[in-house]
Parts: sequence; C-alpha cells; structure tokens
Amino acid sequence: MLSFVSVGLLGLLSLSIPVGIVLFLLGFGIDQFFSAFPLTRGLGSMVWSTSENAALIAIPFFVLLGEILVRTGIAARTYSALDRWVSWLPGGLVHANVATATMFSATSGSSVATAATVATVAMPQADRLGYDPKLFSGAIAAGGTLGIMIPPSINLIVYGFLTQTSIPQLFLAGLLPGILLALAFLAVTAIVCLINPKLGGERRTFPFRDMLLGLADLLPIILLFSAIIGSIYKGWATPTEAASVGVAGALAIAALFGGLNTRMIGEALIGTVRVTAMIMLVVIGASFLNFTLSAAGLSQELRGFLEGLGFDPLQTLLVIVAMYIVLGFFIETLSLMVITIPIVVPIVISLGYDPVWFGILMIVLIEMALITPPVGLNLFVVQSARRGGSIAEVMLGAIPYVLAMLAMVAALIALPQVALYLPMAMR
Amino acid sequence: MAEKLLSILSRINRTIAIAVGVLFLTCAGLVLIDICLRRVGASFGGTDEISGYVMAIGTAWGMAFGLSELSHIRIDFLRRSVGLPKWRAVLDLLSIFALSSTVSIVALKCWPVVETTLRNSSTANTPLETPLALVQLPWFAGWVWFAVTAWLTFVAGVLLVLRGEFTKSEQAIGAFPEGETA
Repeated sequence: MLSFVSVGLLGLLSLSIPVGIVLFLLGFGIDQFFSAFPLTRGLGSMVWSTSENAALIAIPFFVLLGEILVRTGIAARTYSALDRWVSWLPGGLVHANVATATMFSATSGSSVATAATVATVAMPQADRLGYDPKLFSGAIAAGGTLGIMIPPSINLIVYGFLTQTSIPQLFLAGLLPGILLALAFLAVTAIVCLINPKLGGERRTFPFRDMLLGLADLLPIILLFSAIIGSIYKGWATPTEAASVGVAGALAIAALFGGLNTRMIGEALIGTVRVTAMIMLVVIGASFLNFTLSAAGLSQELRGFLEGLGFDPLQTLLVIVAMYIVLGFFIETLSLMVITIPIVVPIVISLGYDPVWFGILMIVLIEMALITPPVGLNLFVVQSARRGGSIAEVMLGAIPYVLAMLAMVAALIALPQVALYLPMAMR
Repeated sequence: MAEKLLSILSRINRTIAIAVGVLFLTCAGLVLIDICLRRVGASFGGTDEISGYVMAIGTAWGMAFGLSELSHIRIDFLRRSVGLPKWRAVLDLLSIFALSSTVSIVALKCWPVVETTLRNSSTANTPLETPLALVQLPWFAGWVWFAVTAWLTFVAGVLLVLRGEFTKSEQAIGAFPEGETA
C-alpha cells in the first residue's frame, strides 16, 4: 500500500492533475484495492464534516485580512519606516526587505501574499537606488516565506486540523523560530555584504527624530498583530474569532489611510473566495485520503516498514528531512504539506516526536520549498514584480537564505525547545 | 460557442463568488459581535455552529469559481517542460476530465447525506436545533454546481483543442505556475 500510494501520488501529480483531485483518486484506489469494506460510502459525510468546521473558517478570515491589508497602502509606509531603522546595517535597504516581510508575516497567514506585498513596494526602490537585483530580490523571496511561520499562519491551521494538534499551541510554537529566522536573514545579509559590498547598497543613517516619526507608521501593524495574537492568549477568543478581530482591524486601517470603498472590498472578497476554494479542495481531499489510509491499516504497514529499515529515530527523521528538501524542489508548500501529512506525521509521532514541534520543523522545510528552484512560488512572485532581468538572478540571490533555513532545521532538531519553549511556558 | 459558454460560466461564477465573499464577511461580523457581547456577559450562542455552516456552503459554492479562475493547484513541473502546445493541451484535457469525474463522484456521494437528513427531518444536536436540510441542501447544490461547471468547461476545452486554438484553451483549462497558494 505504501508503494502504491507513493508511486500513484508522484505519477498523478506529474501528469499535472489538480492536487486535490489526486488525493481523492488515491483514496478511491485504496478503497478499491486495500480495504475489506467500502470506504467511499462514507465520502459524503466526510466532505460534510470536514467543511462544516468552525475552526476552518479562520482560513477565509485570515485570507480576507491579508487581501484588505495589501490594498490599503500600509506596506509602503511600513517599508519606508523600517528603512530608517535598519538601513545602517551592511547591505542597506536589503535589510528593510527582510524587516518589512517579517512585519507583514505577523498579520498575514500566507507566504506568497507576504512576498507579493513586499515585492510591489520594494522593487521600484532597487531600480531607483541602483541595487544589485540578486540579493535584493532574494531577500524579498526569503523574507516572504516567514508569512507561514510567524502567526497567524494558514498552513499551521491546516496542519493542526489534519493532525488534530492544538492550533493556538502551534501558533505560539512558530513565534520564536520565526523571529530567529528573521534575525538569521538579517545576519546572512550583513555577512554577504561585508564579504562583497557590491551585492548590497549604501548604508544610510537617519536622524533619530525621523526614526521616531517612522514608528507611527508601524503602529497599525503592531496593534493589529497584538489584537490577533493577544486575544488568543488572553483566552478571549479562539483563533477563528481572533481572525474576525483581524478583519475588523484591517478594515479600520483601510478606513484610516483611505482606500476603503466598495470596489476595494469587492476585489478583496473575490480574492478571498478564490484562495479559500483552492485551499479547501486540497484539505478535503487530504482528509479523505487520511481516512482511507488509516481505515486500510497504513499505520501497521508503516511500523513494519520502519522496523525493516532498522534506523534509529534520528536517522529516520533525517531521511524525512531529506525527502522534504528533494520534493520541495518540485512541489509547493500547501500541496507538499497535505500530501505528506497522512504518511509522514504518523511515522514521526510513533518515533516519539512531538507533533507541535514537527509542525514547526515541517514549516521551515516547506518555507525552503518556496525559494528552491526550479519550482519555488516566491521566486516567481518576486520575479513577476520586477521590470525585467532573468529569474536566475532571484534564484541565486535566495541561496544564502536557504542556508540560513538549513541552519534553522538543524537548530530545531538539536534544540527542540526553540519551538517548544513558548507553548510549554504558556501551558 | 466554446468562448460564449466559458464567458457565461465565468460571469455566473464571479457573481457567486461575490455572494460567498459577502457571506464570509457577514459571518466575520457576527463572530466579532459575539466576542464583544461575551465580554459584557451576553452571547448569541451558536456562532460556532453558524460559522461551520457558512464554511461548508461557502466552500462548496466557491469551488466552481476557483476552477474558472484556474486556481486549483496543479504541479506543472512536467507540463511546462512539454514543448508542443498540442501535448500540453492533452494534459490539460486529461486534468479537467479527471477533475470533472472526481467531483461528480463526490457530489453523488454527498446526496445520501442530504437524503438521510430529509427522510428523518434531522435537526442539529445543538441549542439552535438547526434543521439540517436547510444547510445541507445549499451545500449539496454547491457541489453539484461545481460538477456542472467542470463538465461544461471540459466540453468547451475539447471544442477549443479540436479547433486547434491552443492559446484559448490554455486560458480556459491551462495552469498558472504563479497561482497563489498559502
């Protein structure tokens, strides 16, 4: 069954059949060949109970929040404010790219949306100030990936849903690794620019008064983040409810900075429905496959398979990590997550690892998938915001940040507390 | 004929998408009011349940719009390396055919859920005692509409490919590598 699923998965996916549909088809196949009783009979109630779930409505809410926010013009203000605070570092404005992406990650649940937002405001500056496009665009692509690590995160909601792991715990666990990754990106930028100053740009310092004034432009985002995350940890609201607080906050920001009108809201709503449908098709498909796999006894087969290999838990984990890196060259974040969760998470848990911790490790790995060629969505997004030049430049520029992510993977494995400290402390 | 069919479908689905979006926004408002009420010791009760129904119905009806916008994720690594537009169109047709058949099966299998509800006039086991038919019928209709949209899109795709209009078929049933994902 394991080989049937793996071969079927890769074969059907490479035929470019939609990911959600592939998951359903595999579920049908398992039902047909590996199950003693008809599993598709339960398909209808599966689909109903998966989509009729109050926890999942956080997805359209967080998407809507992001869709509104990108249309408010707050990104440009944030960018210019952060420029004043971080451009004294070696590399200049490249740091503002990372910092703005980090800031937006704290209100956005999506990496692609984060990269797109930052790219739109930052790329024109690169041309104007004569920056080398490689590191500049690589920093946006990499910084954008933080969107799914720093809470809120749509991917963590999906992970929590499919593995029955607490979403607030996952959010809390993502915070520290997210901040550390952001700092690592800044450090990598500085090191690269110290070695080869041509890759960065002029270091600039601003009068302290300007820096303080800039803080005013950062306030809306900081307040919004605190409202969302604060209301979850104060116990006032579930993640779903906090998401609705976020939507209200985004609307307030839009009203404050202008740009709140029916056309803008209409576009934001349409975008929300499109992204939600896309996510839900793969989530429902994955739930169905999950259900058929466990009903057909995948876990026993996996146990047998693992015992046959004779690896210790750490070796098995390293094999899994290597698999994610390789698959990540070709498959994108959400798809990579949902197609591997039904198989990989039961293994990892049976090895005695913590599901919250593994969720965070998986997020770093799929963040890497976003910026590793040939298929890396954030690379495409940043490239599409450029006026010319080859995508190879963006790919090259992202390499130093991939190394930072690998270091993060090693850190998480060596020191699980990086992810687990906050959830433990708040428990 | 094919172009007309596609443009009608896309217009209908866009209208549906706006309606679903408004439904989501209203639901967010409702949840927000409930949080505020709870702070002062009152509550509607049942916002969780309502959110669930909104999610099920909104998701079902949003699926067809996702299809007309080509936003259902496809791994197009191999597809992009296929040079000839003809072969790429074949992959696209295979893809939309697989989608149409699968979604039809899903829609068919959803019917027994609704049927049982109708037969027993079931209500939700919650304080609201929502008659489930009220929410399951629109949910089921959404999946049926997804299947209908998929088959019509498939037919339009076949017509375009037979006429050799690969640029147009690419717009109707192709894949966008830069498609937005979470």
